[in-house]
Amino acid sequence: MKTGRRKGLRGALVGSLAAVSLVALAACGGSSTTSESTETEEAPTTEVEQVEEVEEEVVSETPIKIGFVTHVVGNPFIEQIIAAAEQAAADLGVEIQVTGPAGADADAQLKAAQSLVAAGVDGIAISVPSESMVQGLNQIIAGGVPIVSFNLLQAGVNGPYVGEKSVESGRILGNSILEQLGGSSATGQAILGNCFPGFPVLENRALGVQESLAAASGIEVLGPFDVKVDAAENYAKWEGLLSANPDAVALIGLCAPDIASLGKLKKANPNAPFIAGGYDLTAENLAAIESGDAQVSIGQTPFMQGYAPVYMLVDAIRNGIDIGSPAFLNAGTEIVTETSVEQPFNLPPLTFAELLEISASPEASRAYYQPLVDGVIKNWQSELKPIGDESS
Amino acid sequence: MLIVLVGLIQPRFLGINNLLNLIANNTIIAILAMGIVFLLATGEIDLSFGYILNLTAVVAGLMMIAGLPILVAIGAAIVLGALLGAFNGFLSVLFRLPLIIITLGTASMYAGLSLVINRSGSVVPPAEITGSGYFQFMGGLSGFPISPLILVLILTFIVLSFLFYRSRFGYRVTALGSNPEGARLAGIPVARVRIQVTALMGLLAGLCGVLFLSFRGAVDPTTGSGYLLPVIAAAIIGGTPLTGGTGSLIGAFLGAMVIAVIDTGIVFLGIDAVWSTFVTGAVIVVAVGIDQLVKAQRRKTGS
Repeated sequence: MKTGRRKGLRGALVGSLAAVSLVALAACGGSSTTSESTETEEAPTTEVEQVEEVEEEVVSETPIKIGFVTHVVGNPFIEQIIAAAEQAAADLGVEIQVTGPAGADADAQLKAAQSLVAAGVDGIAISVPSESMVQGLNQIIAGGVPIVSFNLLQAGVNGPYVGEKSVESGRILGNSILEQLGGSSATGQAILGNCFPGFPVLENRALGVQESLAAASGIEVLGPFDVKVDAAENYAKWEGLLSANPDAVALIGLCAPDIASLGKLKKANPNAPFIAGGYDLTAENLAAIESGDAQVSIGQTPFMQGYAPVYMLVDAIRNGIDIGSPAFLNAGTEIVTETSVEQPFNLPPLTFAELLEISASPEASRAYYQPLVDGVIKNWQSELKPIGDESS
Repeated sequence: MLIVLVGLIQPRFLGINNLLNLIANNTIIAILAMGIVFLLATGEIDLSFGYILNLTAVVAGLMMIAGLPILVAIGAAIVLGALLGAFNGFLSVLFRLPLIIITLGTASMYAGLSLVINRSGSVVPPAEITGSGYFQFMGGLSGFPISPLILVLILTFIVLSFLFYRSRFGYRVTALGSNPEGARLAGIPVARVRIQVTALMGLLAGLCGVLFLSFRGAVDPTTGSGYLLPVIAAAIIGGTPLTGGTGSLIGAFLGAMVIAVIDTGIVFLGIDAVWSTFVTGAVIVVAVGIDQLVKAQRRKTGS
């Protein structure tokens, strides 16, 4: 039995040695997410004026470090949010550290936030997919580190939230689908898919879609079915749903991978009668809309969801603004079809080609959203609403 | 060594509070890793413990919401965990299948059952329950100088050490893993020991479910799904082989801490998030590889 103990110590020692080497290796080559203030000096000339404008508004006094924690890394939609957050950090001359689990793991995400606090960050922006994170996050806030949440809401967090109006965006999607089906006289089966049953924001979207489709008494809504978040699983689930309901007139998803899956499904089944709708303006989703394989996608302004939380945190830290209670900042809803692009906040009109460019280029996105920075984001305090407005 | 490296670069990392938090935040992984050592020692792997954790936490939370006393709900959830674990073992013995195959199915069953019971939503006991002395204490809100999770971890380690190193049960577990046929011929009740080991793993998962609920004050549909890799990795990094017959509880604890230090150290060093996953996986591969080379060298030199 003593052998087991010796082996354990030896194994852990070997693990530590290996870890030391690999962490050292990673430390040498992997610090790319930190957007130090020096990055502003390297910004393209066209952006320098914008940067100076923002810096005038929030004057740098002490070095500030912001932690930015997402519920997943490597997701195209989340990457758009991260790019905007890093642009905000560069504009404001603060340091940002982006982290998050590879797959949705609330416990790992909370631990990452706690590690950031231990490492000395001044504020945290975080998406909050799970109720079990709320108590831990509120302990961080009570300890003096402000938190702004984004994208995924838990209303119990003592800080502002930046995201879409989830029920309302569902209503918009439902109405767009219904319009394409012929309005209140439409008939047939509509299938609703939810990639993560239980997430409040997604449940709210489903409610909104169902509410809108209820206007057509001839439409029978099936679901919401669990269609999984992984791209391959998502496609397989939708394929199964179509096989079981080949005459469905609409397939409606609530998450980023759905449109791409439904577009592929339409390509594979060109004679199937369904139209497809869903969420998020990733390059893959827009390609499906452009090719006519999907009909409508609802955007939730990822630039706003990345830029605003960082701006709010820095503004609050530098100017002593109390953000220790729940509040809602609407990120706006974008409605994209093959023939139209509707943007929120009176942003300049876009063609589909321009939208494609923005979704693929963080620099183009930054330039396009300058009016948003100068307007809603700059005046975020007056734009805050009660948290209940998110689901109204 | 890893702690010292990170501490040299970021001295805040060596703060006593940070190190205690590191242990407390990884208590569940450490306890589960010690449990999986028993299974690995029999030559088996359980894939369902994360979902047993989830289901027991959900049941405990719902029982509390239904008005049962907190301690009754906790006790019932831990017993449920043991029963679910024993069910795994029973099926494995009944169908004469490796536990990994059985738990491929039961993991999904337990996850689905949890979704049905909690209606795909989070289970959040109301404020009058989470505001109770128990939740305040377990949540680290009572002003107690050390996290109660660390105390539970120490107590669990002592009990499991006695079971593994000093009891007849522990002897039977390693004998079964070393040579199942020999164990049978020696009169060891192989089927019973298999079911007992899986029941122990289930009981520990139930305990961790209760700890999770107590510490976080809520449980989500996804809770527990992320524990599989770090728990098995911790045991392997700690020197417990997949071939059975032996294991190390202190190694499993240290393995859990190695993974925790990697995760936290990466944040302290400001390293890109995507490296965390890579480094964790690479450490496992390198550690296990070096361990095997060292063993081969020892066999060669006869030491």
